Amino acid sequence: MKEYNLNIAGYNIRFESAADGPELVPSERFRNSIVTRPDPNLLITVHSGECNLPRGARRVFHAPLFEEEEGTLIRRAKKFWSVYKHHSRIFIKTTFPYSSTKNKGILLLSLTHMCWDLWLTGDVTEADPMEYPLDALILYYLTIVFGDIMIHASGVNNAGRGYLFSGVSGKGKTTLARLWFKTGGTVINDDRLIIRKRGARYFMYNTPVYTDDKPRESPVSKIFIIEHASENRQVRLTGAAAVSRVMANCIQQNWDREIIARLLGTVSIMCSMVPVSQLFFKPDRRIIEYLLENE
Amino acid sequence: MTGLRSIPSHSPDVVTRKTGSEYILVPVIDNIADMDNFYTLNETGAFIWELMDGERNVKEIIRALVAEYDIDDKTARADVISFITELKDYLIIK
Repeated sequence: MKEYNLNIAGYNIRFESAADGPELVPSERFRNSIVTRPDPNLLITVHSGECNLPRGARRVFHAPLFEEEEGTLIRRAKKFWSVYKHHSRIFIKTTFPYSSTKNKGILLLSLTHMCWDLWLTGDVTEADPMEYPLDALILYYLTIVFGDIMIHASGVNNAGRGYLFSGVSGKGKTTLARLWFKTGGTVINDDRLIIRKRGARYFMYNTPVYTDDKPRESPVSKIFIIEHASENRQVRLTGAAAVSRVMANCIQQNWDREIIARLLGTVSIMCSMVPVSQLFFKPDRRIIEYLLENE
Repeated sequence: MTGLRSIPSHSPDVVTRKTGSEYILVPVIDNIADMDNFYTLNETGAFIWELMDGERNVKEIIRALVAEYDIDDKTARADVISFITELKDYLIIK
């Protein structure tokens, strides 16, 4: 197809192929997020070919390729994606490590102008413009634009109450999501969430990861910073301790003061409205009983 | 080594936010590996941080701490020097 719209976490993203652009083929995991809404928050025009960085563009951030192995992050490649800045324009150069092609991409974005461009180089008669890591990068910069949060967390909804379990790799996000699933809770996502404020409440949204993912959302009633332990207990966090612990689990690229200040402000306000606790837990069904007893 | 006449000020490469009487400090960084390098300051730390305005020297900051918290000069000096040493990456010291 030459154009389509995705709705992810309430963001309406429209992709259009340029005149010389590729056929757009969204991967299976995005199929349930395709919508026909006419008023996108963001338009991304997809081109085939090279985009040269302007003279004077400065690299402000870079990410090697890390992979998780048995709960430990291992660096697989020195170069993965990098962010370059030129005045108000932001360029992200990336490779696609899990693609069968050798394509490369350059995303040109702005935090104030919601028409972005994506160039794909290589054999690109057809392409998924949300191929990893573009999906994470596009969604991350959308959270910055809209003052939202992207966080390493699993989320569940049980009888209308939303619980968010945040921690980096190996802390037990997926374990807790599975335990809730077994007791009838709805799993929003088991690894990464977007949090947005609607009115006076915060909502968590999944982002498509698995092939059968459907859009899911829930209010956020409580936030837990999780830690494996020999017994179940929780300690309420307030003030700077709560904000810094939540911040530490947010997905962030802190190369710009304005970007940091926006996220810090958003997290601070959320932590003043949603209870935050550190949760020490044993990974069995008794943690669910413990949480329900302590509602 | 930080001298008593040194004048500390906040680095432009740190973003701060005050929450109640505490501060959170987040440094500007250029790569993904240093991502969780945050700092929180308790009430006393926040008091010292706010005195580091690029005008007061270390001796004046120690004197202010003694006056505010009713502690002796030796303790205040140790606290301020320790604070500066710990937060040196977040400060410019002239």
